Amino acid sequence: MSERHKAKRVSRREFIKAGTLAAGAAALSPTLVAAQAPRPKAVPRNRTLILTWIGSREGRWVDYELWNPYSLGSNHQNGPGIFYEPLAYYSAFGDKEYLWLAESYKYSPDFKDLTIKTRTGIKWSDGVPFSAEDVAYTLNSLRDLGPKVRWGVDVQQFMQEARATDPNTVVIKFKLPSPRFFYFMTYKYDIGVYIVPKHIFQGQDWTTFKHFDVAKGWPVTTSPWKVVFSSPEQKVIDRRDEWWAAQAGLAPMPKVERNIWLPNAGEQQSAQGLITNQIDYGMSMQPATFPTMFRGNPKITTHSGQKPPYGYMDWWPISLYVNNERPPFNDKDIRWAVSYFIDRQQVVDVGYVGASLQSPLPLPEYPALRPYIDSVKDLLAKHNTLEFNPKKGEELLTRKGWKKDSTGFWVDAQGNRIKLDIIGFGGSGPAIGPVIVEQLRRNGVDASISLPPDFDDRFQKGQYTGSIYGHGGSVNDPYHTLRLYQSVSVAVPGGHLVNFARWKNEAYNKIVDDVYVTDMTNKAKLMELWRKAMEIWIPELPDIPLVHNIHRIPMSTTYWTNWPTEQNPYINGAFWHLTYAIVLWNLQPTQ
Amino acid sequence: MHADYLAKRFAVFLLIVWLAATLNFFLPRLSGQDPVRVKLLQQAQLGGYVQTGIEAMVKEYEQRFGLDKPLWSQYVTYLKDVARLDFNYSIANYPRRVNEIIAEAIPWTVALLGTTTLLSFSIGTFLGALLAWPRAPRWMRYLMPPLWALHAIPFFLFGLILMYLLAFQLNVLPMFGGYSAGAFPGLTLEFVVDVITHSILPAMSIVLVATGGWALAMRGMMVTTQGEDYVTFAEAKGLKSLTIFLRYCVRNAILPQTTALALALGQILSGAVLVEVIFGYPGVGTLLFLAIRENDHFLIQGIVFTVVVALGLATLILDVLYPWLDPRITYRRK
Repeated sequence: MSERHKAKRVSRREFIKAGTLAAGAAALSPTLVAAQAPRPKAVPRNRTLILTWIGSREGRWVDYELWNPYSLGSNHQNGPGIFYEPLAYYSAFGDKEYLWLAESYKYSPDFKDLTIKTRTGIKWSDGVPFSAEDVAYTLNSLRDLGPKVRWGVDVQQFMQEARATDPNTVVIKFKLPSPRFFYFMTYKYDIGVYIVPKHIFQGQDWTTFKHFDVAKGWPVTTSPWKVVFSSPEQKVIDRRDEWWAAQAGLAPMPKVERNIWLPNAGEQQSAQGLITNQIDYGMSMQPATFPTMFRGNPKITTHSGQKPPYGYMDWWPISLYVNNERPPFNDKDIRWAVSYFIDRQQVVDVGYVGASLQSPLPLPEYPALRPYIDSVKDLLAKHNTLEFNPKKGEELLTRKGWKKDSTGFWVDAQGNRIKLDIIGFGGSGPAIGPVIVEQLRRNGVDASISLPPDFDDRFQKGQYTGSIYGHGGSVNDPYHTLRLYQSVSVAVPGGHLVNFARWKNEAYNKIVDDVYVTDMTNKAKLMELWRKAMEIWIPELPDIPLVHNIHRIPMSTTYWTNWPTEQNPYINGAFWHLTYAIVLWNLQPTQ
Repeated sequence: MHADYLAKRFAVFLLIVWLAATLNFFLPRLSGQDPVRVKLLQQAQLGGYVQTGIEAMVKEYEQRFGLDKPLWSQYVTYLKDVARLDFNYSIANYPRRVNEIIAEAIPWTVALLGTTTLLSFSIGTFLGALLAWPRAPRWMRYLMPPLWALHAIPFFLFGLILMYLLAFQLNVLPMFGGYSAGAFPGLTLEFVVDVITHSILPAMSIVLVATGGWALAMRGMMVTTQGEDYVTFAEAKGLKSLTIFLRYCVRNAILPQTTALALALGQILSGAVLVEVIFGYPGVGTLLFLAIRENDHFLIQGIVFTVVVALGLATLILDVLYPWLDPRITYRRK
């Protein structure tokens, strides 16, 4: 080997040194990468609210830059929800509307015009005054963008134009009577239109605009919050010094000075984090986890305190759906027979360790809906949707010509079994699916359960026989649940129809159309129509009601009190819902 | 080493990358799921509500992502993008781009798995060598059974046990995350310590499990090497025990370990998926898990392609370095 080559040759010792240095640099690389971000001020732990949330993002916030809730990858549930204040909030627990950016609203008698008066004295966080122009711009943009963004088609199909006639007045003209449009825009659960700042969003492509730049103070908001740091590891939201609503006396200035959103690492980790006071607020958990948490940290509570069901009734009652287009489930007697074979109390006891409630109808028992539920008690007494009575089920099947074979399964004249392959998803399928399957099999129905990854697609397209799923319908008037079963609508031409059950009934469709054009405040008329609809729905039983969905949200009182509870039900406690802002301004520090 | 050998080897590397890229394109599509539809439905139904116009939105975004075109056309576009190392937008996180999402995750995984792989290799190899060495201290014999037992436990299960004991019961280490909630990144000693502290549990769960494997392999090779003539000759020459151990036995026995190390280093980008998920560690493993769960074809393609290239490069580099590591190997023509 030549001298020149020898001089260039790397010795093993040098190679190891270089390797060690490279490994050291690699080990520290997260700190080097992370070091690029600015450092916000320190806030004491007892003024900080730490929560952990899944948002389809275990372990990391992939969407940490997305603070424009209209972009496809963004989700208001992951933090942006509190930055876009609504025209109004609605609390289903209190049956109360909180007019917010709007001061008042009024429909024309034919519900083809809506005039909204916005409040004065509201400013965006960059100092620009909020005005009716922002509302009109948001609505017109949604109409123009249509299918490109969330809520676009919902606005497009009803609204002709929104016009700001003065700085505090918006006049909305509709294509067809729209008595529920203001309610649609109101924040409740996951529904509501996010009002955006026109001076920021104008000229931007809403589908790609991120609305995130800490240095510029983005996202620009009317809320008392600002993003001070956002990364895959945490979203840190600090309280601003000023808030128009506090100045106007509508709400107190939040005592929470910092709200940290951590990506969830799993239920066990969240539970351990709550026990050790590293987390104050967790996502909905399995009922069996709660007694362990209460033993580990007595300061943990839930909506129902430390007793079952460890939470509150969500707006999403769960049913066993059967595809009404597929025989033999196109026959209501078969649907009723299946219903009689299900022991719902056992489903609650085994599937939820007793921590749930049976649901006779596909709508939650909220204050505004209770009169409607009470009004059909006689129908439910005659057709008890919760009745566990295998004998009645057997009678129905025998009358229809079904017989049990040697293995104990019901078969028709051709020897075909009642085959019910149930699909479900992570939410409720694993908890109660196996219990229901076992009950049905013991009563001669050849049932099975699976959790396919393309559940949503199959369920929406009707490519299923049975399914365990809920109802995102009504919380204050019966229309939104009734429309879930409409197969054709004349009142809303071209409107999107849900009808997961694939049930068809012309008389029912007509009644729901009548409900649609009825003023939400005309309770007597609504009650009459509701009853007519239930006179069809209950005997037909398009899907088989099972249980209420319970949000079991752990809340720690170590640092914060005045959580929403049974005794203090100012709102539902889901921080991922659009009403989380109300929880934030109600929380009080313990220290 | 001849240039033609290098060229041939590089061509094989390119062929492997192309094959992997092709599989990477078609495999996610075999599921028959429409990622845009799945994403929109998941989003629409997160709160249990079905918003209007899902079908129209699906069409709009399929067009935007080019998913409405014939498969062959999508494939050609994909190959062009891959050639430019551009993996398009993430479907689930639109308008974020795949490249920037992967770039955020890589440092965490490289730091965690790079360090743990090197540590477990070093400790395991050294222990394995000593375990086979007749003059090693007697107490070392008792090390092997626990190491083997640990090796049989999956990383994630051991991680859960460690988390329960050290983070939950004893509260001496943080439970999850890359750093503390409310801590802000900066080149300060406090933050560096915080990051390292957070990596200890996931690192321990990998190192303690993987060390046994390295030790076992090294022990086997050491036993073979010790029976070689050159070791007997060295002993006969009266060389020092340490010299025979290090220069005659370890040096020869370590070669297959080095090959395995190179392959293991190539694989680190795929992340220890379950360990990262359990500890909420923001690395590539968590990202791949999310991408698969959300049917984010473009993100899956980006991650898998990066892993394949890393592995291919590791093998290529190893091939090139081998003669330097082992003088008995040569690529010269005879």
